[in-house]
Amino acid sequence: MIQRTLRLIRQQTRVQFQVRLFNLFSVGLYFIQPAIFSLVGMLLSQAAGNEKPDLVYTVIGSGILGMWSGLVFSSLYDIRGDRRDGTLELIVASPTSLGAVEAIRTMTNVLTGLVSLLAAFLVAVTLYDYSFVGISLPAVLVSLVLLLVGLWSIGVFLANFTVWSRLSGNYVEFLEIPVALICGFMYPISILPEWMQAISTVIPIRWSLEALDAVLMGSRDVSFLLERWGVALLLSVLYWGMTRLLERKVHDQIRVTGEMRSI
Amino acid sequence: MNNDAIDVKNLHKEFTTRVGFWSGKTKKTTAIEDISFNVQRGELFGLLGPNGAGKTTTVKILSTILLPTSGSASILGYDVIHATQAVRKRIGFTFGGARGLYTRLSAVDNLAYFAELYGIQPEISHQRIDELLELVGLTDRREDRVETYSSGMQQRLHLARALLHDPELIYLDEPTVGIDPVGARELRKTIKGLVAHGKTILLTTHYMAEAEELCDRIAIIKQGSIVALDTPASLKKQIPGDSLVEIEVRPSDLVLFQEKLQGIKKHAFDVADNDGNKKISVRTAHPEEVMKAMAPFITSQLILNLEVRNQTLEDVYVSIIQGDKT
Repeated sequence: MIQRTLRLIRQQTRVQFQVRLFNLFSVGLYFIQPAIFSLVGMLLSQAAGNEKPDLVYTVIGSGILGMWSGLVFSSLYDIRGDRRDGTLELIVASPTSLGAVEAIRTMTNVLTGLVSLLAAFLVAVTLYDYSFVGISLPAVLVSLVLLLVGLWSIGVFLANFTVWSRLSGNYVEFLEIPVALICGFMYPISILPEWMQAISTVIPIRWSLEALDAVLMGSRDVSFLLERWGVALLLSVLYWGMTRLLERKVHDQIRVTGEMRSI
Repeated sequence: MNNDAIDVKNLHKEFTTRVGFWSGKTKKTTAIEDISFNVQRGELFGLLGPNGAGKTTTVKILSTILLPTSGSASILGYDVIHATQAVRKRIGFTFGGARGLYTRLSAVDNLAYFAELYGIQPEISHQRIDELLELVGLTDRREDRVETYSSGMQQRLHLARALLHDPELIYLDEPTVGIDPVGARELRKTIKGLVAHGKTILLTTHYMAEAEELCDRIAIIKQGSIVALDTPASLKKQIPGDSLVEIEVRPSDLVLFQEKLQGIKKHAFDVADNDGNKKISVRTAHPEEVMKAMAPFITSQLILNLEVRNQTLEDVYVSIIQGDKT
């Protein structure tokens, strides 16, 4: 079972890279777009009177924005591509569940998005002399892993809607910027109106991101971090649970509507 | 053991589409209407019908891609609605056209991916992929991206994909579409070979000669309903009149010929446009009577072309789909 799962991951990832990821669109998605946001963020920070731009929120935030955009668009285009190419029907009618295929794809997209974050860290270290001295690396890693798990759980959850119908798939695309705004990718979430903060409490990446930002700014407040990590993990598990419930419904629904091909 | 590979009972499928954005009204379209048929193990069964008749919808329900609105269908004893996993492991299918492949991948990579979706062990799948590429004549191009293939090559790769897990039952939806005559002949030979190896095949095609050559039995489907089901030979007998006489005349002479043919015993009579002329088709059990009536015109050169032939499956198909015009 484990061997079979590993083989499936290997094959799916290979297809993913060959079909979707190595193209110019991905370069724009994972590098150019975050670079633009990073630049705008730095200019805004300077305009606000800061002599040095706030690295965590501008540079690292734009890297995370790159990961998020990469996840939304890549996952969306995977399913759109399958609809267009007629391969979605073949996957659905194979003994492997579409849910498993989507989970692996989303994981690949999330991990690929790490290049945005790595590039952002490199920019921070090389151009702005950002230093990791005094920062708890284990805490960074835990926050980062929970961020990835959170992105993964939201990605598979949203993938259901993209599979469900072409129209609902388009609505998923609209979520890219609103989620980035209410989760405080590029600024402290505390500056948002309370009602916006309230909405973001149901999104796991808001919590792991808050922890990551705090750790990168040198915080060692264990109770603060544990609370954020715990909520991020709990919400991720919740999203996975909802995904499992949705998968069966979506599978039956697309077999009724025949929404597996583009017209 | 039940000898049915496919058992379809009163299968019905409706699609509901939304009309307008605000109204909330829906429109129902019936794709197939209470169809029933069975296919025996080892049989090559043809499903024929015009575009939109419901052939592909039927195949998709039998492939577990679609759910029927009502009725039931079982594949090798497994219900297509509830036992989807059992059905999926045992069937292979191709849908007509170029879609259904990752065109940026090579043939080998496509097959390796689908082999994994079917849970085939790598040591088996490697050998199987080699054999199948050999079978469909793509060994030389195995590492090339599929986007560089001709449509015929893509069709052959579809077939290889459908056979990867050695399924007992194979659906072939217009497998020779876009393939040149030589390639189509090769593919038909391959299909015959599969049946000789005990596979059951459900074939949909628009090519009547292909259906006549390959199929043990044929169902003709029209507007979602099966309107004829029998062996090709029996189907041809169902339409009265063994022979078809086709007479090509100028439009100005049509009335004259129609009058001449009025008194002759015939089962069907049809007039169609043919490159600016008119082609009269007379289906009859007594072609000699038609020939006798036409004899004076042959010498006067009023007849541009005349052909007498036995009825083909295509004649039967056209007669059933269009209805007799006697």
